[in-house]
Amino acid sequence: MEESFRTPAQWYDGHSAVRHEGDALWDGARQLALRSTSSNLDIALGELVFAEERGGQRVYRWSGDDDFRLILPADLPAGLAAALPSRRKYGAWVDGLGLGKATVLFAGVSAGLLALFFTAPDWLGPRIPTSWERSMGDALVGDFGNRICHTPEGDAALAKLLAKVDPAEEKVRAGIANSTDVNAVALPGGQILIFDGLVQEAETPEELAGVLGHEVGHVRERHVMTALLRQFGLTVLLSGMNTGIGDTLFGLAAMDYSRDAEREADEYSRARMLESGISPTGAAEFFERLSARIDYDEDSLLGWAASHPGPGERAEAYREAAEGRTFTPVLTEQEFGALKTMCEEDEDVEVMQSIV
Amino acid sequence: MADIKEKANNAFRFDGNWQDFAKIAFPNLLLTIVTLGIYRFWATTRERQYLWSHTSFVDERLEWTGEGRELFFGFLIVAIILGIPFVILQFIASGMIFRGMQDYVLVMGIILFLASWYLSGVARFRAMRYRLSRTRWRGIRGGSDNPGFVYGWSYFWRWLVGILPVGLLIPWTMTSLWNERWREMSFGPYQVESDAEPAPIYKRFLLFYVPLLLLIPMGIAFQSADLEGGAGAVVAISAIVLVLFIYFGMPLLSVAFYAKFFREAVHTMRWGDVEFSFRARTSDWIVLYLVDFLLISATFGLAYIFIPYRHWKFYVEHMHAEGEIDLDAMTQSQTATARHGEGLLDAFDMGAI
Repeated sequence: MEESFRTPAQWYDGHSAVRHEGDALWDGARQLALRSTSSNLDIALGELVFAEERGGQRVYRWSGDDDFRLILPADLPAGLAAALPSRRKYGAWVDGLGLGKATVLFAGVSAGLLALFFTAPDWLGPRIPTSWERSMGDALVGDFGNRICHTPEGDAALAKLLAKVDPAEEKVRAGIANSTDVNAVALPGGQILIFDGLVQEAETPEELAGVLGHEVGHVRERHVMTALLRQFGLTVLLSGMNTGIGDTLFGLAAMDYSRDAEREADEYSRARMLESGISPTGAAEFFERLSARIDYDEDSLLGWAASHPGPGERAEAYREAAEGRTFTPVLTEQEFGALKTMCEEDEDVEVMQSIV
Repeated sequence: MADIKEKANNAFRFDGNWQDFAKIAFPNLLLTIVTLGIYRFWATTRERQYLWSHTSFVDERLEWTGEGRELFFGFLIVAIILGIPFVILQFIASGMIFRGMQDYVLVMGIILFLASWYLSGVARFRAMRYRLSRTRWRGIRGGSDNPGFVYGWSYFWRWLVGILPVGLLIPWTMTSLWNERWREMSFGPYQVESDAEPAPIYKRFLLFYVPLLLLIPMGIAFQSADLEGGAGAVVAISAIVLVLFIYFGMPLLSVAFYAKFFREAVHTMRWGDVEFSFRARTSDWIVLYLVDFLLISATFGLAYIFIPYRHWKFYVEHMHAEGEIDLDAMTQSQTATARHGEGLLDAFDMGAI
């Protein structure tokens, strides 16, 4: 037989660790005959699978027996080399395309996915029906388990205030939570919580109207749903990239609104206040006062006073809106007083622990 | 064919070099980035193929037969059976907090913590089983028929018992778990034997408690209530020594302890008629970690991709084996093979060998 059809070979039969050393004889077509003093085997070339290349050798597996290994020298006769299965390097897809093309393709697909991923909340959020958001919100936050303060007078005052900044037929749900935090939040499902700590800080009902209007703005502009989707997406993305599930942080506390959303909510609030003849000057002062004494925290849904546009710029916008207009008080002294004392007078309300 | 008896002395060799490894590691890094991390399963596989095939035992190279898609599916399975419930639980937890049920959330958190403790034991076991079942030498592979769920409980309670008496039983925890895990493993027809004892490693372990003695003079000084004078100086000096120990002493001691533990544990292992030893001293480990640190800081983290190479080389070069192998009697492993990779281990972020 010609030399070009014969090559030294080693093989393991997969049943014992004994190494068989001999020759591989190629019939010039599809058959390889392995011959040694200890083992004779005939193998169809089409049944060989490339395993790896290592230190001047090529290792092949055999689809007929997973345990079998054939080891041939890397410098094979050209004809046989062409008849054997080709090398695999990076994996089937990358090998098929070539490293350069595969990199460009993967990068393109990834960039597209990322772009879709980061913009999806903005266009998807407002398209999710309000009723869905409401059920989702109810499942997520529920009724706060008797931590909302109620008195007949206080409830009436809050309803009156809400009506001024939320003219829609179906009102958002707002409540004063029995917590000393100086904060206010818009939660999934169109629920607004103003913490009693913030109510106590307010000196006039106009100040509260500014805060309430802002939160209503978040609900009406669908910012809550957008933020919820973004947060959910980030959780999934992070858990895909970083496999440590312990690192994955999910929580409403980590949710935040964009600066644009904050500005929109402010604009909404000012527009409603002007419509209802509420002075925005109070709100301006309130923001300045709060930002002066509250530590700036990370932007967070629950960090009400923190996540908003620069306090100076913001108060300015409210003052400008007030220029050249006259306003009537939004609530009477008694009504404002009822809001202030609501949590104190509600005897069976429970304390809401800080949720941040 | 007659019995072939081979002298297996200084049996492990590594003949890879970092330049060749770089040709694998850099494209891996590139592909991992452009696929948003998904390629990392194939990347790991390619790295292992290189490391295994450049490692020889006696007269034949090892072969890594694991595949990227196994690791990928393992990851997907874990993501589905653990990840999704985890995300849902997060939602439930925030809902419960809003409803004022903090106590239940705390209980839920504790249950999750205990469950992940148990699962991390299972994960270690299964990763070892997977790696052995994908390692071939002369066509023969290893493995285990044990799925590792019982080992998870052992891991759970032995660590609990080890830690409770101010950590004093940790050496026992480590050696007994090492034995339990390895005794379930086999390669070819031979079960691995392992008889690691805690006694030889206790001396080093007790060094961790030496700084606690400093609390005695500190306590006496506080008792004297004269912090202006000499007692204050005692407190200050003790505190400084304690801080120095925490930052420098503890890491060094941990390395020294682990070096001793690893030598002892490997030394008690047998496989057929082959006995093993691991000869890295504390100073070798310190050099390993120090060079890791210097390389990574000098390259702003890029050298991180060479860490698997450096560590594998370290293990192989310090591993020794002596004894005889009867190649005719060395038949194929009959253990079941796990179909998917190290998903669980991956999920708990434990990459150690």
